[in-house]
Amino acid sequence: MRAATPHGNVHRRDFLYLCALASGTLAPGMSVRPVFAQGAPRKGGTLRVGFYLEASTMDPHFSGSKVDRQIYHNIYEPLLTLDVKLGIKPGLAESWQQPEPKILVLKLRQGVKFQDGTDFNAEAVRFNFNRMKTEPKSVRKGEVASIESVDAVDAYTVRINLRRPDAALLATLTDRAGMMVSPKVAQERGAELERNAKGAGTGPFEFVEWVKDDHLLIKRNDGYWGKQGGPYLDRVRYRPIPDDTVKLQSLQAGEIDVIDYVQPRDVAAVRADKNIVMLDVPSLAAFAYQLNQTRPPFNVKALRQAVAYAIDLDQIIKGVWLNVGTPANGPVPPTSWAYDRTIPYIKRDLAKAKAKLAEGGKPSGFAFTITTANIPINVQEAEVIQAQLAEAGMTAKIKLVDAATQLSDGNSKNFDMISYQWSGRPDPDGNIYQFFKTTPGTSLNWSGISNPQIDALLDKTREVSNQAERKKLYSDLTKILQDELPMVYIVHPIEPKAFSPKVQGYEPIPDGMMRFKDVWLKA
Amino acid sequence: MGRLVLRRLLATIPVLLLVTAGVFALIHLTPGDPVDVMMAESVDDSVKATLRRQLGLDQPIYVQYGAWMAKLLRGDLGRSIRNGEPVIENVGRRMRPSLQLAALAMAISLMVATPLGILSAARRNTSVDRFGTTFALFGICMPNFLLALLLIFCFGVKLRWLPISGYTDPLEEGLQGLRSLVLPALTLGLALAAVVTRTLRSSMLDALSEDYVRTARAKGLSESRVIRGHVLKNALIPVVTVLGLQLGTLIGGAVITEYVFALPGVGRLVVDAVFARDYPLVQGVVLLIAIGFILSNLAVDLLYGWIDPRIRYR
Amino acid sequence: MAGSIRGSGIAEAADTPLASPAPVCGRRWAVLRQAARTRLGPLGVVVMLLAIVVAALAPAISPYDPLKQDLGNALARPDRAHLMGTDNVGRDVLSRMIWGTRVSLMAGFGSVALAMIAGGVLGLLAGYTGGRMDGLVMRLMDAVLSFPPLVLALALGAVLGAGLGGVVVALGVVYTPTFARLMRAQVLTITAREYVEAARALGAPGWRIAWQHVLPNAAAPIVIQASLSVAFAILAEASLSFLGLGIQPPGASWGSMINAGRGYLQQAPWIVFWPGAALFVTVVGLNFMGDAVRDALDPRLRKTR
Repeated sequence: MRAATPHGNVHRRDFLYLCALASGTLAPGMSVRPVFAQGAPRKGGTLRVGFYLEASTMDPHFSGSKVDRQIYHNIYEPLLTLDVKLGIKPGLAESWQQPEPKILVLKLRQGVKFQDGTDFNAEAVRFNFNRMKTEPKSVRKGEVASIESVDAVDAYTVRINLRRPDAALLATLTDRAGMMVSPKVAQERGAELERNAKGAGTGPFEFVEWVKDDHLLIKRNDGYWGKQGGPYLDRVRYRPIPDDTVKLQSLQAGEIDVIDYVQPRDVAAVRADKNIVMLDVPSLAAFAYQLNQTRPPFNVKALRQAVAYAIDLDQIIKGVWLNVGTPANGPVPPTSWAYDRTIPYIKRDLAKAKAKLAEGGKPSGFAFTITTANIPINVQEAEVIQAQLAEAGMTAKIKLVDAATQLSDGNSKNFDMISYQWSGRPDPDGNIYQFFKTTPGTSLNWSGISNPQIDALLDKTREVSNQAERKKLYSDLTKILQDELPMVYIVHPIEPKAFSPKVQGYEPIPDGMMRFKDVWLKA
Repeated sequence: MGRLVLRRLLATIPVLLLVTAGVFALIHLTPGDPVDVMMAESVDDSVKATLRRQLGLDQPIYVQYGAWMAKLLRGDLGRSIRNGEPVIENVGRRMRPSLQLAALAMAISLMVATPLGILSAARRNTSVDRFGTTFALFGICMPNFLLALLLIFCFGVKLRWLPISGYTDPLEEGLQGLRSLVLPALTLGLALAAVVTRTLRSSMLDALSEDYVRTARAKGLSESRVIRGHVLKNALIPVVTVLGLQLGTLIGGAVITEYVFALPGVGRLVVDAVFARDYPLVQGVVLLIAIGFILSNLAVDLLYGWIDPRIRYR
Repeated sequence: MAGSIRGSGIAEAADTPLASPAPVCGRRWAVLRQAARTRLGPLGVVVMLLAIVVAALAPAISPYDPLKQDLGNALARPDRAHLMGTDNVGRDVLSRMIWGTRVSLMAGFGSVALAMIAGGVLGLLAGYTGGRMDGLVMRLMDAVLSFPPLVLALALGAVLGAGLGGVVVALGVVYTPTFARLMRAQVLTITAREYVEAARALGAPGWRIAWQHVLPNAAAPIVIQASLSVAFAILAEASLSFLGLGIQPPGASWGSMINAGRGYLQQAPWIVFWPGAALFVTVVGLNFMGDAVRDALDPRLRKTR
């Protein structure tokens, strides 16, 4: 999609800017200053990255945490990848076809080797899927639940037989469920893979060492199959820096080169800082509050709606998020193809809120508890919401909890209104299905919603493969969700990333994952 | 003396039992469990159930305690749920930065407090004394995360003299490693210096009022000879004991400092373990910290008893 | 050390019988007069009284509602309207500081009161009954002492709920052994004195002896320890708010204000500065007070006079 111009760089910048503008995620005043290549890429150097958390495991099939993914996208490769508009692109699979709704045929890239020297082929793919489905500790089981079996048709062709049509599968294969691990490594060092991933992937970088609590090191894979572009960096060194302020200060002091997130409150200062380059990357994430439908007060729909009308999203985005994010109209983020711009987010209306209170049988208001995680922005948001609700006559008490308690309370439905952050998936199915489908027992459906109309729509979104049709289904879902309100959505944050000016060639993809294949360091 | 030590050591066993039972009960009472935390974004109930069974979390509490105790008596502290490594290895890995930090902090505190304490005592109620006691007071009363913030801001960001986060091992990287420890050591060391100054001043005053000092002065010895020769030695003993007692706090309790400076120390280990509900790790680390505390207490008491024959224990 | 929850304010060698001061009954006023003669002691008392007055009169003297948000005027510099500026949601810092005095003092006094009562009772029990009970109580106290205080506070916070109550209980538990040991040492010393033996020989019941002789004499070291512990408890509450424990939002304590303002240090340092100063001044004042009384009781100082 690039026109030939004498200054290819400038065009790319404008392109990204227009993209962002078009998707409605940037106010025109904001500027995107991407870190694009100036001059020819140069090999060498160690990129020092600061993350807020340490990785938990190097085995993509056992991983449940977001930070792990950041590293995986550099040492492993999925069968399919995403482009800047979240479209599906070839990865380790060169092409794919769906001769029938329940069959997916992938043609694999040839000449790819795992970092331990073994070949990547259909047999390896079959092995991986088998591992995901049968390993007791596999966390990918749910993601590949629709896969019945996988056949290696020939050395480089794989046929995936599905149990039911699954329109979201392609997107799922762009992340951990599609990441290919060397069968030799898994068989010989399976138990150790969680801590030592030497030779296990096919990616542009390979695992070197992981000194727990200190750093994780990966180095350039000189045998990488891709001959265009990078990898250029000698090494990438990840360091966990849990304190946000210290993380930013480390970048400012030149101790690290990249950080994964700039807090909204620091955005203005970082933008003004000439020694740091900041990139506003719209994300797939969503911040919301789940309302517990299984017990009073929120088993009454009118009262849930009263809460939604009393909350002032504009004020929250402006005052708490400092415009580093867009007000949410539902679970679909603006970066997604399924986003329906015509559905407005719920605007504050005190009169309606009061009317809903009366309708719900509590004309003079009622009291409940907001459970939220002990993170500064959550706390601030909760305080503002508390004040907004008070103006409508509702008294909310704030209860701060740590992550384990939040998960426990949510899973056991022991809350009235609980904060929820979802890091987001490229396919809207990953942001919607498991939260709103009727599910007995423990699940991510914390609100306990069980609505046959929603269930039917959800199932249909998985069956239908035409994107335009799916988009219409998601629009319908969004509208119903705005009425039923199992969750009150607040914001789709922008996740700004910050770099030292030496860093060149970084291309942001809205899934928030930092891929360093084409990144290089200025001397 | 040997019998005393033995008796004290035996007496620690019920204490340790109480501590382990206490932490066991407490951590299991907190809502949430490690499986929830590890699989936060996942839906799979069956995988969670399998994991819980594997870890023995589905058993009643007293059974779990019994199992843990049985392993402990065989010398096995168990494995961390989060990273699968033995608890001992987790602690061992974190011990080095904690110990180095503690050593550096103590060194800094002695460097600051020794002259200050001595001078305050020697020149009582003069402006030097005033300064010394004021400094001591300020050091004790300053919240240490505030001090850490100010130090980072001043030396790390504005002046850029010192690294503000991360740990480099001085034993491996020499000067670079030392520099990475300076700011956190200053944070802890200045507060410690305040305590040591007070203690030293107090014990110096004590020692200065002893009879043998009067004798030495009557003999015509200069003040500084008196101090150096006799007083200082005796006055330093309480200081050593205070430092010994603080060692436990420095290692297990420097959580906020470790957190702010991103140091992989023991304090953060146990707090992170509590947040992650990593039961074996919490229990193991608390036990080790308790043992360390008790042993250092015992050492201090014995030292007291040995130095001052008046203070003997029944 | 200000960083550690337990603090180092344990009156030196408090649990060795030899180190406790001579009986105070009858000399109480002399001691107070002595303490008052230092310059700093009364200053400390003034500071503490000021804090108590501010806390008591908070509704009256606070210029704004401490919870009133004004998102349009967030992070405003100090000016005539807001003498100490506004915080990140536009609340008046001065008002929050005034109301925060209540919370910080409650945390401080509450936890120490708990510790004094629990520790006092346990110490009396241990000192009087001696033998197995003494051993049991002291082992229990040792166990609490060797328990990392932060873990205790965290766990209790998760069990009891993260609010101020949990913190007060946790700190109370952490400080109990100090008072228990102190009380026990006092009991042992005082009951060894002749006049107590005489009283016992005359047939006075145990509780009478405790009431008439032990408690009055133990009062002074306990008060000293209490004033130092309150100072540490106030600091500890600030540290615990770092981990999300203590007063829940939107309420404010000095510690939680410092913690919330941490991220805005460069843009709006007044959010951290003023509660930090208040914290500091109060803690210093309490220390002055405690020190003055302690110096007044110090046998050394009397000797060299």
